[in-house]
Amino acid sequence: MKRHEMTRNDCLRILKSGRDKLLDPLRQTELVVIGGTGFVGTWIAEMVASLNDEYQFGIKLHLVSRSTEKFSSQAPHLAAREDIQLIKSDVRQLGKIPMNTDWVIHAAANPDVRTHASNPLDTASVIVEGTMSVVRTAERLGRLKKLLYLSSGLVCSSQDSSLSENAKGAPELGASFIYPNAKRFAETVCSAARVQSRIPVLVARPFSFIGPYQSLDTPWAQTTFLADALHGRPIRLLGDGQLKRSYLYGSDAAYWFLRILTTGPSGDVVNVGSQEDISLQDLAEIVAQNFEPSPEILLNTSPRNQGRTTLLIPDITHVHDEYGLSVLTPLNEAVKLTAQWHQMQKNCEKDIFSG
Amino acid sequence: METNRKIIISDPTLRDGNHAVGHQLSSEKIALYCRAADNAGVPIVEVGHGNGLGASSLQLGEAKVSDQVALITARENLSKSKLGIHVIPGFATIERDLKPALDWGVDVIRVAAHCSEADICERHISFSRSQGVEVWGCLMMSHMLSPTLLLEQARKMESYGAEGIVFMDSAGHYLPDAVRHRVELLVDELSISVGFHAHNNLGLAIANSLAAAEAGASLLDGCARGFGAGAGNTQLEVLIAVLERLGYSTDIDLYKILDAADLAEQNIMKNMPTISSNSVVSGLSGVFSGFMKPVLRIATEFGVDPRDIYFELGKRNIVAGQEDIILEVAKDLTQHKGKRIK
Amino acid sequence: MTKSIEKLKIAIIGSGNIGTDLLIKVLRSPYLKCGAFIGRNLASPGMLSANSLGVPVSAEGISYIINNPDCCELVFDATSAMSHLEHAPVLKGLDKRVIDLTPAKIGLMCVPSVNMNDSAVEFNVNMVTCGGQASIPVAYAIGKTQDDVDYIEVVSSISSRSAGPATRQNLDEYIKTTEDGLKEFSGAKRTKAILNLNPAEPCVDMQTTIYAKVKNPDIPNLKKMLQPLTKKIRKYVPGYEVILGPILENSRIIVMVRVRGLGDYLPAYAGNLDIINCAAIAMAEEYAHVTAKIKQEEG
Repeated sequence: MKRHEMTRNDCLRILKSGRDKLLDPLRQTELVVIGGTGFVGTWIAEMVASLNDEYQFGIKLHLVSRSTEKFSSQAPHLAAREDIQLIKSDVRQLGKIPMNTDWVIHAAANPDVRTHASNPLDTASVIVEGTMSVVRTAERLGRLKKLLYLSSGLVCSSQDSSLSENAKGAPELGASFIYPNAKRFAETVCSAARVQSRIPVLVARPFSFIGPYQSLDTPWAQTTFLADALHGRPIRLLGDGQLKRSYLYGSDAAYWFLRILTTGPSGDVVNVGSQEDISLQDLAEIVAQNFEPSPEILLNTSPRNQGRTTLLIPDITHVHDEYGLSVLTPLNEAVKLTAQWHQMQKNCEKDIFSG
Repeated sequence: METNRKIIISDPTLRDGNHAVGHQLSSEKIALYCRAADNAGVPIVEVGHGNGLGASSLQLGEAKVSDQVALITARENLSKSKLGIHVIPGFATIERDLKPALDWGVDVIRVAAHCSEADICERHISFSRSQGVEVWGCLMMSHMLSPTLLLEQARKMESYGAEGIVFMDSAGHYLPDAVRHRVELLVDELSISVGFHAHNNLGLAIANSLAAAEAGASLLDGCARGFGAGAGNTQLEVLIAVLERLGYSTDIDLYKILDAADLAEQNIMKNMPTISSNSVVSGLSGVFSGFMKPVLRIATEFGVDPRDIYFELGKRNIVAGQEDIILEVAKDLTQHKGKRIK
Repeated sequence: MTKSIEKLKIAIIGSGNIGTDLLIKVLRSPYLKCGAFIGRNLASPGMLSANSLGVPVSAEGISYIINNPDCCELVFDATSAMSHLEHAPVLKGLDKRVIDLTPAKIGLMCVPSVNMNDSAVEFNVNMVTCGGQASIPVAYAIGKTQDDVDYIEVVSSISSRSAGPATRQNLDEYIKTTEDGLKEFSGAKRTKAILNLNPAEPCVDMQTTIYAKVKNPDIPNLKKMLQPLTKKIRKYVPGYEVILGPILENSRIIVMVRVRGLGDYLPAYAGNLDIINCAAIAMAEEYAHVTAKIKQEEG
């Protein structure tokens, strides 16, 4: 099977059993995704392509990004489509987006913590100035039905075992926390835009994701475990592996975002993520099971202290009760599919270089 | 205080010690000490030019053996111990230096920068992490930053993927309370390990290292007989003895590390580190101890007091690698010599 | 002494600090005129400055040049290595001269005091690195006056504040490019480049030390060549000064240079950024003269 067939199947699996009908408001409409060539944007493009091909939705999708070339090389099957248009632009300068659009998803931000550390000012500028630019542009979109802003699960903190949308704790002050602070401010800007400019805007708070199109170069647990396994190395866990995380698969996430966009009321705030928590040790074991031979798992490769770790398990009661959404791809399956996709990609590259 | 709390020892005798001999450690000496350290159960043995990988230069001193020879020799003589290297971006590059080092069998990479410049380490740390190698971030001359700012820099390294942070007292300037305060803050706020590297300019290397351990540090550096630039580093075998007595576990055999120190004294070191007047001055002034040799040489050449050079360098906040500035300072001092009021 | 010539129309792509500093130098030049100041974000400080100075601005990126080819004959690219790799073939197709200030470095390495004539006939030149601009003239002089240049080492220190994220993330590229440049211009068998960031306050100027190991050091001849060469450099980088040497120390040749910036848009301590921009302007002005000469000859 080819990689794009795999990701297509992922989308179809989500859309079957009548779930496609829940996205009916998207039929024959235009959707703009700003920051559309990252993980989320690419999966939304996959989902739109599936809706158009299998269910004749007739959606016209515009992906706005600074790195349109990267998208063309990462997902050529999507870039080549007639119903997907790439617009090269900085979020702070949105001159070229189609003014007739019905929907806008604002997903422009770099989630790479290394960039936040080395370029905190640029990080803040893209998020804050970018969001101001988006809401100002939204004021002039005559047919806009909804604007969905992708914030972050990090904007609130709490002592509870999972984060609900009502958690009151704010991120700490300081340059080390520029990303969650900027995101929190950007959410507030969206709120102000709703109040002042009457823009129908709602906020989704993404937590952790897993799936194809996620670069293994990032220093997150799920990506480093996969990278270790993919390169035939033992999987190294720095601590005792008991830290808990949760991961939502790419196609689930794309479906959730589109559902929230089309049916959510203006002013809503919705967590997007999986509540199925798993310890890092268990995650490492699941990753290991998907490789032949199975890599060794090394625990406590670095003695940890009892310092800070951020809680990142979302409470998804709200999205379940109000939107009828639940996690369709269990974590085991999510890891299996992601591992397969990366292995396919690695073999594909090998063929190119040996062929 | 917990008993049997584990402390990882990293031993840079063959790296930091290289400063004391103008980077002239031979491959025979490297092989000899590696075997002894390996035998004693030292967890990490760090080898190379005093300023790390790729630092052999006219500016910092040319090493007797190349990085390749040093590391391959070390690798051949370490079976249980991990082989570590010190890497400073701006001296070492990923393509030319780091990649080959990994091929030669390096296990632990410590990417180091002046304490306020952690972000130059992003690429080297990310790269090391992507190769599945153990990687730490090091903050040098850490006394030059307040604890809060030091934490900020440490956080950057944590986000690049460092598995631990070692902050270094490169000038031997700290008092134990300052160390305790910093370790407590870092341990509280970071989710990764914290380590400490002391220098002995004010006779406090052991005390400072203990303060670090008590405050929650999980890694300490130490060199046989304190082999290192100027006043030397923490005397490893003494540290092991004290840690053992206080109930920490280091996995190092005390008798064998004492033997390794004897061996180092007899075969590897020319002089035992002592706290000379110059060392006191450099510790007080907060100037990198590795400057001692060039300062002494240039002071003699220009006929000025090396202590005056130190205090002047301290005022200029000179960082490691700025040896060329010593010439300038000496020149300036000779010009003002006549005008100085003693 | 120079006759007044028709100003060469140039464009600047990249509206950050470097591009804006370049713009101010262009506006001051009697031989250059800015036909377009191009970036990504019309609200950035650089763009706002350019606009207030009456310079045509655009956020359309390279498309602006494609759609308005008459806006310039020469383009300064102050964006990023990745972007330059896209821009270069487009500009070549449009027959525009390019001065590349990014780490891409696909064209000829240009150090005006040393290879201005060779650079003048190229369509794409790059300004090497700041350490390269400061040290290559000295390395070149060493190559020309000394027997058997075995090894040249260049250590640069720049103030921490003058080194932004782009510099910090490209240290390896800086080292490689500087080493390559040194080798090419001096003929040395081996070269090494080191870069230090100095956090001292008040901020230090850029300082570069050149060490050389040669067979039979000849300081007097080196001095003889270095003096007029330094004067030449000072014509376009007024803040360039040899502060020590050439001397022989421990049988190594040592020269120390300091570069203080003009303070046009960037602070004066950022001599490292200024020397590249000054060199780029010097090259562009040379093109302006060459172009004017050709036009004259064509009648």
